[in-house]
Amino acid sequence: MQRFNFPVVQPDPALEELRRELQAFLKEEREAGNFRPEPECWMASADPEFSRKMGKRGWIGLTWSSKYGGQDKSALERYIVTEETLRSGAPVGAHWIADRQHAPMLLKHGTEKQKLDILPRIAAGECYFAIGLSEPGAGSDLANVKTKAEKVADGWKINGQKIWSSGAQICHYMVALLRTSPADGRNRHVGLSQIMIDLSLPGVTIKPIVDLSGDAHFNEVYLEDVIVPDDCLLGEEGSGWKQVTGELAMERSGPERFLSSYITLETALWQLSGKMGSDSHARLGKLIASLRTLKGMSWGIANLLKQGVSPDTEAALVKDLGNRLENDLTQQVRAMLNDLPPEDWSPDMRRIMNMGVLRSPPNTLRGGTTEVMRGITARQLGLR
Amino acid sequence: MINTEGMVAETASKIYTDLCGREVPHEAEAGQYPQALWDALSENGLPLAWVSEANGGFGADYDETFGAIWASAQAASPVPFAETLIANWMLDRAGLAPADGSASFALSGHTPSADIPFGMHADKIVLFDEAHHEIALFDNRVAVRSPEEALSPDGMTQFVFSGHVAEQSAKTDLSRRAFEALILTVRAVQMAAAMETALNLSIDYVSQREQFGRPLSKFQAIQQQLAVAASECAAATMAATQAASAITRHRDDPEQAWHEAVIAKVQIGHSVEAVTVPFHQVHGAMGYTQEYDLHHYTRRLWAWRDALGNEHHWSKRLGEELAVTSPDQIWKGVTTGDWTDGNRVAS
Repeated sequence: MQRFNFPVVQPDPALEELRRELQAFLKEEREAGNFRPEPECWMASADPEFSRKMGKRGWIGLTWSSKYGGQDKSALERYIVTEETLRSGAPVGAHWIADRQHAPMLLKHGTEKQKLDILPRIAAGECYFAIGLSEPGAGSDLANVKTKAEKVADGWKINGQKIWSSGAQICHYMVALLRTSPADGRNRHVGLSQIMIDLSLPGVTIKPIVDLSGDAHFNEVYLEDVIVPDDCLLGEEGSGWKQVTGELAMERSGPERFLSSYITLETALWQLSGKMGSDSHARLGKLIASLRTLKGMSWGIANLLKQGVSPDTEAALVKDLGNRLENDLTQQVRAMLNDLPPEDWSPDMRRIMNMGVLRSPPNTLRGGTTEVMRGITARQLGLR
Repeated sequence: MINTEGMVAETASKIYTDLCGREVPHEAEAGQYPQALWDALSENGLPLAWVSEANGGFGADYDETFGAIWASAQAASPVPFAETLIANWMLDRAGLAPADGSASFALSGHTPSADIPFGMHADKIVLFDEAHHEIALFDNRVAVRSPEEALSPDGMTQFVFSGHVAEQSAKTDLSRRAFEALILTVRAVQMAAAMETALNLSIDYVSQREQFGRPLSKFQAIQQQLAVAASECAAATMAATQAASAITRHRDDPEQAWHEAVIAKVQIGHSVEAVTVPFHQVHGAMGYTQEYDLHHYTRRLWAWRDALGNEHHWSKRLGEELAVTSPDQIWKGVTTGDWTDGNRVAS
C-alpha cells in the first residue's frame, strides 16, 4: 500500500479545446498591449477591465450554476483557465480570490438572495472579494484572531483589525474570521465564525501597505462598529474554524502554488532560443522534470476534489514542493540567462526577472507558511 | 499511485511477503542467495509477465506488473526480478524466447564493455547492440566481474564483451530510446518504492528512539526534516506513476514514453540526496550499521540513481532536447504530458 494518493489522470480533449481558446485570447490581449506579463500575477496584478473581459467570455464562475451566472462546468475547466492565465502572467488578481474561494463559499452557505445578487457579478468580473483571516496578532497562529462580532438587533456589530488583505482597496466584500463567542478555556477553535462584510459600509477603513517591491496590494482593514445584517454570517455560528481549515485545504494545491513564476522561464525560453549552453540545458531539464511532476500531483488532487475527496495532506505537500519550486525557478533562470549578454536582454526580460526576485518571499508564506505545511505533513506521518 | 491490484502484482507481493522477510536481504549479503524466492517467482511465471503469449509469456498488463516491481523494491529484493522482466521484454521485442533462468541487461555504448546490474547472480545477459539494431543473449558465466566496486549488492558488475559468442540474437526495430524508456521507468518505480520504505523505517525509528526523555518524533526539527523527505517521496511516486502510465499507454511504441521516463529519472534522481540525508540523520549512527535495514534502501537508491547515467546526465539530455523545441511545445508537455513535436525530426 502506498502512503500518498495521487491518481494519474489523462488529459481530456474537450479541456484542451478550452486551453486553445484561452491561449488565443491571451496572445491577442498581450500583443495589443492590454497587459504586461508579471510573475505572481494572481496576487499582485489586478486589472478590473481585464477581469470584465474574462467574465464576458465566461471564464470566471465556470464551476457554478448558470442560474447564478456560472457556466455549469467542473473545477477541471477552471484549472485550465487558471493554468493558462498564470503562464501568460495576465492581470487576473482582481477576480481570482472571489472566483476561487468566496463564490464556492457563498454557494454553500449564502442565502438565495445573496447568491442571485452577488454570484452573477463575480462571474462578470465585476465583484471582488478580500480574505480576512490574518490579524496583527494572528499569522501562522490563526486561532488567535481577536476581531469580534457582537450580536445586535438584526445583525452583528464588528470591531477589530485585519491585515495582509490583498486587493482590499478594490474589493467589494471581505469574508472575515471573527470571534463571536469566547474561547472554551484553552480550546480557541470554538466561538469563531465567518462573516461577509460589505467594504463600503461605514466604519470600514482600508489602508494600503507598500511592500518592498513598491506594490501596494496588501492592506490593513480597520473595522469600527461596522454593522452587518444577520444573513452575512456564512455557515454556522461557531463553525468558522472548521470552515476555514477546510477551505484552505482546497486552495493549497492549485496551479498558483507552483506556476506563479513560470512567466519568468517562459520569457527566458524565447530569449535564449538557440543560445543555451550545456549548463543551462541541465537546469532546464531539471526544472521541467519538477514542473511536470508537480502538475501531475496538482491535477491528481483536482480530480480527487471533483469526486468529493479532500486530500489535505497531499495538498500541503503540493504547496510545500510547489512554493520551493517557484523560487528555485527564478534562481535557475537567473543562472541560465548568463548565456545571453546583459545588453541583449529584452526590457520585458529584465522587468520580469527583477519582479520575480522581488516577489519571491511571499511564495512560501501566503496560504500557510512552509513550516505550517510541514507540520500538517508531520501530523499525517504520525509524528505529532 | 502505482497499481498494486491485479493478479501479477498481488502474486508478487505475496511471494515477497512470504519469502523475503527483513532477514533475507541481510542473509543474501552474507552469501546466502535466496534461491527459494527466485524459484517461487519463476514457478509462478512472473519474470515472463511482459513476454507476449506468442513467445511463451502471458502478456500481462504493464500497469499491474509495475505493482509487482514496487513490491520487489519494498522488500529490497536480493534476486534480479525487475532485471529479468526487462531482459525478457528486450528479447521479446526481437522475437526471441525468454531467458532460461534469471537475466540482466545492458545497452551497448561505444566500448566493448557494459555495466550489468545484478551481474553477480543473473544467469543470462541481454544486450542491445545499437550499432547493429540487434538484441543478443549471452551466458553470464563468462563475464569479467568487478563487483567489489559496486554501491549496492545488486549493483553494477562489469561485463567485457570480447570474443563471447551470443547464444541467440535477432534484429529489433526498436530504437535505443524505447529501451531507455522502459529501463528508466522500471528504475523509477523501484526508487519510489525504496524511498517510501525508507521513509517508513525512519518514522518507526524516530517514534521509538527516545532522547532527552521523549521520542525523537516529538522534536520539531525531526518532524520538519521528515516532512520535507515525505514530500520528495510523494513527488517520486508521482513521477514514477506518470512514467509507468505513459509506457502502458504507448506499449506498441515505447519511444513515445521517453520524455515521461526521463522526467521520472531526473525528478527522482535529484530527490535521492534530499531523502537519504535526512533518513540517515534521524537514524543517527544506528542507520549506518550493517545490522540495521536502512542501508538496503539507501545503498540501492545511490546505485539506481547512477544506473544508465546519473540525474545530471539525464537533466542535460532532457534540456538539450527541449531547447530545440519551442516554448509552446514545452508548455504543452508540462501541462498535458504530450511531448510529441511536429517539428522535431525523429532520431
